[in-house]
Amino acid sequence: MIKLDNIDKRFNPGTINEVYSLRDISIEIREGEFVTVIGTNGSGKSTLLNAITGSILPDSGKIIIAGKEVTHKRDFQRAKYISRVFQNPFMGTAPDMSIAENLLLALLRGGKHYPRISLNADLMAYFKKEVTQLEMQLEDRLDNMIGTLSGGQRQAVSLLMAVIKEPKVLLLDEHTAALDPKSASQVIKLTKMFIERARLTTLMVTHSMQQALDLGTRMIMMHKGQIIDDIPANEKARLTVDDLLNKFADIRKKERLTEDVVEQLRREYV
Amino acid sequence: MELWIGAINLGFLYAFMAMGVFITFRINDFPDITVDGSFTSGAAITAVLLVSGFNPVLAVIASFFVGAISGGMTALIHTRFKINGLLAGILVMTGLYSINLHIMGRSNIPLLNTPGVISCIKGINPGLHDEIWLCLIFALMIAVFWIIISTFFKTDLGVTMRATGNNPTMAGALGVNVNAMKIFGISLSNGMVGISGSLVAQYQGFADIGMGIGVIVFSLASVIIGESVLKMRSIYAKFLSAVIGSVIFRLMVALALYVGLNPIDLKLITAVFVLIVLVAPKIISRKSPKITKPAGKFFTFVTGKRFFAGLFIIALIAGIAIFGYKGIKSRMSAPEKVIRIGVVQFSDHSLLNITRDSFIAEMEKLGYENGKNSFISLENANGDIPTVTTIIDKFHRDQDIIVTISTACTQAAINKIKDRPIVFATVANPFIIGAGKSDNDHLPNVTGVYGAAPVDKLLEVVRQILPGKLKIGAIWDPSQANSVFNAAQLKELISKSGNISLVGATVTNSSEVYQAAVSLVNKGINAFVLVPDNIVYSAFEAVVKAASTKKIPIFINDVERLKDGALAAYGYDYTLSGIQAARLVDRIIKGENPSHIPFEKYSKATFDINMNVAKNLGITIPPDLIAKATVIHDDLKKGVPAKPKKLALFLFSDHKTVEIVAKGVIDELKRSGVLDKYNITVDIKNAQNDFGMAHSVAQDIVRQQYDYIITLSTPVLQVTANVNKKIPHIFGFVTDPFRLGIAKDPYHHQENITGVATFEPVESAIKAMRQLFPKAKRIGIIWNPAEACSEACTYKARDVAKKYKFELLEATVSNSAEINNALMSLLNKKIDIFLTSGDNTVNLSVEMIADILKKYKIPYFTNSPEDIDRGAFVSIGTDFYDIGTETAKMAERVINGEKPKDVPIKEFIPEKIAINLSLAKFYGIKVPEEFLKKAAIVKK
Repeated sequence: MIKLDNIDKRFNPGTINEVYSLRDISIEIREGEFVTVIGTNGSGKSTLLNAITGSILPDSGKIIIAGKEVTHKRDFQRAKYISRVFQNPFMGTAPDMSIAENLLLALLRGGKHYPRISLNADLMAYFKKEVTQLEMQLEDRLDNMIGTLSGGQRQAVSLLMAVIKEPKVLLLDEHTAALDPKSASQVIKLTKMFIERARLTTLMVTHSMQQALDLGTRMIMMHKGQIIDDIPANEKARLTVDDLLNKFADIRKKERLTEDVVEQLRREYV
Repeated sequence: MELWIGAINLGFLYAFMAMGVFITFRINDFPDITVDGSFTSGAAITAVLLVSGFNPVLAVIASFFVGAISGGMTALIHTRFKINGLLAGILVMTGLYSINLHIMGRSNIPLLNTPGVISCIKGINPGLHDEIWLCLIFALMIAVFWIIISTFFKTDLGVTMRATGNNPTMAGALGVNVNAMKIFGISLSNGMVGISGSLVAQYQGFADIGMGIGVIVFSLASVIIGESVLKMRSIYAKFLSAVIGSVIFRLMVALALYVGLNPIDLKLITAVFVLIVLVAPKIISRKSPKITKPAGKFFTFVTGKRFFAGLFIIALIAGIAIFGYKGIKSRMSAPEKVIRIGVVQFSDHSLLNITRDSFIAEMEKLGYENGKNSFISLENANGDIPTVTTIIDKFHRDQDIIVTISTACTQAAINKIKDRPIVFATVANPFIIGAGKSDNDHLPNVTGVYGAAPVDKLLEVVRQILPGKLKIGAIWDPSQANSVFNAAQLKELISKSGNISLVGATVTNSSEVYQAAVSLVNKGINAFVLVPDNIVYSAFEAVVKAASTKKIPIFINDVERLKDGALAAYGYDYTLSGIQAARLVDRIIKGENPSHIPFEKYSKATFDINMNVAKNLGITIPPDLIAKATVIHDDLKKGVPAKPKKLALFLFSDHKTVEIVAKGVIDELKRSGVLDKYNITVDIKNAQNDFGMAHSVAQDIVRQQYDYIITLSTPVLQVTANVNKKIPHIFGFVTDPFRLGIAKDPYHHQENITGVATFEPVESAIKAMRQLFPKAKRIGIIWNPAEACSEACTYKARDVAKKYKFELLEATVSNSAEINNALMSLLNKKIDIFLTSGDNTVNLSVEMIADILKKYKIPYFTNSPEDIDRGAFVSIGTDFYDIGTETAKMAERVINGEKPKDVPIKEFIPEKIAINLSLAKFYGIKVPEEFLKKAAIVKK
């Protein structure tokens, strides 16, 4: 479903602030896979997601989604296939519009926006049914402004908005990181439910190693713009959080002996 | 009543724009300044199409598209080039100014008799009053439009637009092309603004390049006011609130005029009103929890319902304003038989001021005394077109005759007012604005004085003085209809003559004139021909400076500027404009119907030559031309020094007493012959009772390098002394120059200043008190510490009182309302005599004070002899005319050669004693003979 070929991205190339965010990334995610992504800080996780959504365009390489090449398409053009939940619960919804209106917009994702009134009684009933799933007593408040909802409620609505029109790819960008534990666990519960029900192809970036192990069918570890480990389901099931931490520690140790340092030693001592 | 309906109508027409601004400002979250330009574009396109005969509805639709394109430009610049929204709007708005001028072809297109949407609507009027019918139709139009636009924002597309404005990131992630949505929204909004412009132009009867300036402010104010009034959340309510806000705003403007506020203050009042509307609900709701009394309960109930809160505030303000107005009006009501004349001028330009002043002077000569048998209201639009319309509306309410000075005012008046006489003055061409077809065939209620500048005659003069091949330079402002008309005339005349060519330069403000003139000089012109133009006129010296480098002669139509460096002038004396207009008004008051009075052209043209300039430039004037000249400036002819001199006589205000002093000055100067001997012209300057203005005038006097300055009264002495350190300056009618820091004593003073100090005869007054009331002990005095003169007098009084063994009891006030209390407090302290000395605040209440004092049998002494008629017992004042004479005599010493630093300041107190003998018996005293002999006025 998602295929990245040799994707390269540098920010501020040639200047003192240059950051080599994605180094020659190649990966293929098949339909129905639920991939979790973990990595060190600055490893390029969010950049990877942004490259897939089209928020940033790569310097070189190809991106193919659902069989179509989208490398040079802008974010709103790719929205047909992709839906996304942001880390910030305030970014995914329009605060001065009602829950119903936000859901309508989500329903229209990627399609044409015509000057016709779709928001009728039938649609409202449908929305009510969907919102009831969230278990947050929002189903009677469909005409309230989103701005009156708490962060947890908004994020739950954002999640619903992401799946109400089934996307080819669902991208979750640390979407529970800014929530309190109770809301976070509710949102994770909903996430699991939605993904399993529709077998959505999902890519979820997370800082929580526990989440990365508990959820999903595949896990990717990233470090300094590269994918350093790609763990399939069966192996993942056997791993613990400590194992993951050890893996990271190993890398750091190896880091001390980078290519340059090796070259230097070779020159000096050989 | 027309005032209110007219306001509501304008409110409806501007509501299209308010709704448009609501879309950009609230829905798109984009501050859009483009509207100042797109509003005018809408008006411009409609005007041009209507005049060419197009269907009015098509014209309005065209205006929508023109507006939409303008908005699209702004949005494109913003989204494509990532330029800040405000800046993008400003860029487009600025560019539109030129584009609009091109569309219109001129700065103003009259639509008076052109069929348009408004006239169509009037055509199907079933019999109601025009404005009421229009009101109903407009309400219908707005209602339909409101429903359409609100419903649009409930559709998928509309919801998407709103979401894009509310959270662009989310919208982008949901597949919305954010940039495209922005462009669509801003275009739609500006399209609606264009519709507003189109309708407003048709309603007010003309499209003018300046009509869009500042409309963004009105619209934002309307939106904000609307939101405060109607707090419901539905999209229908929000658009409705914009409409309501627009109507309320216009009603507020009308209310301000109804109450009598100066149209100049409208913008300030707008700001204050919007502030109150925003702040008041918050203050009220903050206090509500603690209120338990029934009145409070009602209050909280009303403010609790959000819908009512805003309306309640507005009703409250309106109520206070109306009561205040009624209160003021009842004091100032004039008797019914008075003729009310409303005079309006477009801006504070000298030519217009000359017309106005000569109009008023001539009206007085014809027997119309302001305040007695006529009431003349003077208004000045300060160069702002919408203000002109508001002033005309105001006049329409209660003036019997309207006098319009300048083309812009005339145009607005003849469009709005059909039921009473309009007399115009200082208009170049009344026919192009639709006042009529010829002098005799014109609008029935309109007549006036006009005259296109005699450009042809001026050109003839140029040819006679400079025969042969010529390159002529001209400068003008293309946004003034008059100037464009004159410049076109000049171009036409020149093209007809074989060997003259024209090089022109345009300017948009006075700071550009110098450069324009220099550029023309560098292009090798042989002469300047300057047609009448406000901007060139005000920056004339800049042209003189540029021309003098290559000794290029200047020919002008504005005669007033001849002595400032022009070679020859062929024009009109604008004082005639005012005089002729006054005579027309007189004929109308006496019963003649304006439709039978033909337009008059200026009756006297004047051709003047400045021989001194001719000499400097080395140009000989043909003798037959000299013979034709009306006025010749030539010092050599009279055997006087080559350079003509100018003297500025600077007054602070028009107050009666100052006028008397000024008369004394001028009479003495004339009598002594110095004016002729040294070829001095006297210019009277007036600060109109305003310090800021005094400062500007003083600076202007220095800039214009006057040779002498005479100032009358303390404020102008101070301001001038600060600004001028070189020009010889003689002051008069000043109480205490030493306290001002001008001088330490009569012999040691600022080098270029000397003059006449006139202390209030406080000493004489107190001396007289002692003489007439030997047993009295305490003197009471009320004064306002903010008045410098008053302060000086009171200090003097303290010293003198001690000398004559009186105790001085003082009470201070800051305005006339406090006088009563102050007086009572002094009476309680058992004063024996009361004194008023040169205080303006107290001066207003002399009658009231005199009445009270009589009840307590306390004699009243003042320093103004007129007070005898107002109830005072003894008044020892100064003769104002004599002060003027003495000041002039001082000036003459300086003119004759003495240096001011060598002339000591003179103390001159020409006493004028007045006494009311009948009161002497009342107080039980006998007045000594020698006192009576000294008295100038003795009242029995």
